[in-house]
Amino acid sequence: MLKGFRSIFRVLRSRQSFEESMSDELRFHLEQVTDDLVRSGVPLEEAGRQARMELGSLNSVKGECRQSRGLYIIDEFLRELSYAARLLRKAPWFTLTALLTLAVCLGANLTIFAVIDSVLLRPLPFPDSSRLVTIFNTYPKAGVERDGSSITNYYERRGQISAFGSLAIYRYGTALVGEAGSAEREQVIHVSPDFFATLERGPVLGRVFREEETTNKTDTVAILTDTYWRQRFHADPQVLGRQIQVDGVPKTVIGVLPPDFRFLSSEARIYLPLASDLQQRTPLQRHSGGNTTQMIARLKPGSTAAQSQAQLDTQNTRLELDDPQGKMMAEAGFRSLVVALHADHVASIRPTLLLLQAGVFGLLLIGAVNLLNLLLVRANARAKESAVRRALGASGGHVLSEVMVETTLLTVSGGLLGLAVAAVGIHLLATLGADRLPLGSQIVFNGRLAFVAVLGAIVLGIVLAAPTAWFHSRGPLLPAMQSESRSGTASRPAQRLRHTFIVAQIALAFVLLAGSALLGLSLQNASQVSPGFRANHVLSGRISLPGKSYSSGRMALAFTEQLIARIENQPGVLAAGVSNNVPFSGYSGKSAAAVKGYIRKPGESPRGNYSYGVGGDYFSAMGFLLRAGRFLTTADSRRAERVCVVDEDFARYYWPNTSAVGQQLFQGSEQEPDAEAFTVVGVVGRVRQAGLTAEEAQGAVYYPYLYRSDNDMFVVIRSSIPSESIAPSLRRIVRQVDSNLPVNDIQSMDARISDSLVARRAPALLAALFSAIAVLLTAIGTYGVLSYGVAQRRREIGVRMALGAQPKQIGRQFLYLAFRLLACGTILGIAGAWLAGRAMQTVLFHVPAFHLPTLTGTAVVMSVVSLVACLVPSYRAARISPMETLGHQ
Amino acid sequence: MVSSHMAKTADLLPGTLDMLILKAVSLKPLHGYGILQRIRQISGDALDIPQGSLYPALYRLEHQDLIAAEWGQSDNNRKAKYYTLTPAGRRRLREETAGWNRLATAIGAALNTTAEEI
Repeated sequence: MLKGFRSIFRVLRSRQSFEESMSDELRFHLEQVTDDLVRSGVPLEEAGRQARMELGSLNSVKGECRQSRGLYIIDEFLRELSYAARLLRKAPWFTLTALLTLAVCLGANLTIFAVIDSVLLRPLPFPDSSRLVTIFNTYPKAGVERDGSSITNYYERRGQISAFGSLAIYRYGTALVGEAGSAEREQVIHVSPDFFATLERGPVLGRVFREEETTNKTDTVAILTDTYWRQRFHADPQVLGRQIQVDGVPKTVIGVLPPDFRFLSSEARIYLPLASDLQQRTPLQRHSGGNTTQMIARLKPGSTAAQSQAQLDTQNTRLELDDPQGKMMAEAGFRSLVVALHADHVASIRPTLLLLQAGVFGLLLIGAVNLLNLLLVRANARAKESAVRRALGASGGHVLSEVMVETTLLTVSGGLLGLAVAAVGIHLLATLGADRLPLGSQIVFNGRLAFVAVLGAIVLGIVLAAPTAWFHSRGPLLPAMQSESRSGTASRPAQRLRHTFIVAQIALAFVLLAGSALLGLSLQNASQVSPGFRANHVLSGRISLPGKSYSSGRMALAFTEQLIARIENQPGVLAAGVSNNVPFSGYSGKSAAAVKGYIRKPGESPRGNYSYGVGGDYFSAMGFLLRAGRFLTTADSRRAERVCVVDEDFARYYWPNTSAVGQQLFQGSEQEPDAEAFTVVGVVGRVRQAGLTAEEAQGAVYYPYLYRSDNDMFVVIRSSIPSESIAPSLRRIVRQVDSNLPVNDIQSMDARISDSLVARRAPALLAALFSAIAVLLTAIGTYGVLSYGVAQRRREIGVRMALGAQPKQIGRQFLYLAFRLLACGTILGIAGAWLAGRAMQTVLFHVPAFHLPTLTGTAVVMSVVSLVACLVPSYRAARISPMETLGHQ
Repeated sequence: MVSSHMAKTADLLPGTLDMLILKAVSLKPLHGYGILQRIRQISGDALDIPQGSLYPALYRLEHQDLIAAEWGQSDNNRKAKYYTLTPAGRRRLREETAGWNRLATAIGAALNTTAEEI
């Protein structure tokens, strides 16, 4: 940018010296000729005259000289630019209105474009990233759409799928990093050794993980991100070989990643090897992905995703032949899908973003129509001037380029203001929670955006100038010199064009308003869905037990028992419990349960269901509904008898006609010996597990904590006092039980539910904002066009009134016109809203495309706004005094 | 002065002005008015350059790097802009001269042809 300015400056300066030198040279020439003539006896005065005559007009010679130097275009452009700037300064209201409209409309577009660019368009920051794919197992008939990939999958596929140049797995996690006492919870990623090779980016310092570092005994190495290295090691170049404590285990730093290394949306600052035991790599574990371990691969040059998919299918079919579970997995619809990594990562947000972009583009159209109206009104006012100029010999091209330069100057200035609006808009988006969307934290204001802004503004300028230029350069001059002047009346095509604009604006604003109402309605529908438990006054927090100090389920159980006993003693606490996962935590994985004696009907698929290990008074703390039997208690983990609780979906599926209480089931997909069976002792209400709008009835089984313990757990506390005030005591008590353990992700369940709606709330709010601006712009546009119409027809109205027309009649005539325009706009708007509603179905929740109350409401709003916008001009028309108008001119 | 030349001067063929300018400055650095006089002189007063088209032609040739300009002192001690031929200009002049001679010979031969020679 600066360079550009400098070169313009240089051109301008050299221009000046060029002009001076040219004048000097021509002056010298004239003097020489004059001298010669004087010497040959011509009187001085006559000599000077002759010299000038022989040279010709000094200005045109200079002009031709400039043209010879190729300076003509720059000259013309600068001249027109300053002329345009002068014209715009002379009409401050027009300029201000136009700039404001442009700033808002372009700013809104740039804001959304910044999001689209960062999330959808910009490739992932890896070389040739379009060749990166992710592979996940799916069991659609069992209700498990996505189950990640297992460690077994990884070892079986590595080097076996020829379409993949490289293949890796990774798993997000957290770890306590640092010395005991000052340890902090860090996000980490566990990755297989070929992870960095697959991405084709790796450490700038040190090396990647090795194959021998992937067992649970040898995974004592770590790779740091640049930020962690700078913060904790002050960018020490000697960091390799130093140790950090991860979950109490020393790990040697073997590498540091480059500053801009970032894997998808991960905030992880430490990379660790994904370690596993040989037992975890056996075929029996093939289907144990659980959606925690994910697979990525890089397609070989020349190979396609379709080829790799075919190879994967072939391998799966062959492997499943020997698998004892193979038949069941096939019945569950098992497949491993290959999907582009980037597209897969942003798939959930893509439709919403495209929808918003369409919405803001509609807003831009409305604003552009307003501008076009303004420009045409101006062109009209200057029609006579331009006709006269053309009659005097100004070329059509001249008039055209003048209009282009003026309009483009306007739109580019508007575009620059729009950039400022976008800068604010991007901040606003972050506060709305956009940074929590996939790749959302990478939404930035950058040079690319500025480039798009200027380019878009230039294109818009040319598009907007075209009709005005056409208006100026068209047809015979005489009608232009007479039409729409004060003595004439509005020309019919021009009027019709303006009315078409109003109709288009009303229709567009209608669609935007109706669309945003649909989004708002589906947000409301979603937030009114009952989560299935009483979420108010419930606090939840996450604790991760280091595997080293809690190696067995019994040790974890002892920890939970102590913890719950202490929490329950706190004043204000009504109930407390633990679970290895809570609804709305963002973690969801399903597993199988085999009901004793249940034989699947032919064609019936095995089912995946949510499985939880719960301790303490989990159900009361969460506020679950009890449908039959009893809740689980802390004691159930200690009793010899194995019991469990199922939810009503599970009970209804397996025991539609009998009571579930007393029935038996096994963990896992196989029938086991009777001693392993869990007896159902209670049935609880259905709970939304993954989100309010997740429509599934897969069922859930709750086991006593001991039987499904996990190193990660959530503790939940119901209190009679506001749940936030419990948080400090929760932290303190956890530290009392184990001084090394922090509590993470402390949030009320209300907040978790509210957060789960962010992907609906932010777009709904934005759409509401956009449609409000759209309606406002439409009102301004309608008002402007009708006022102009009235002003233009003053004379006609004056004459009619002088001939006896009543003011009421005149006013009514204008209102009738407004009504007709509104009706046309509304009809088109309804059709558009219906189409938009259909296009929006994927992002709507329980809202039909054609929602009558929404459309009615929109129609009412649009009617009120447009009619109010019409009232003032109509009133003004009715008040026109015949004497005044006829006396005019 | 204008009328006195009228009878004898020939109109310039299109494209020949550049060639004449190059030739004029190839002999000696000249200012604009000097070029006019030199062309008149070396053509035996047969060619008269329209003054209005001289300077645009000079600027064009300078822009094409065929001639170079420099400010200096004129004979009567005034500041004047002097033009010299650049190496590229010299090459161009050679080519144009050869081309012109070929053309002139060919056209001369054609125009002098008599009926017997066919």
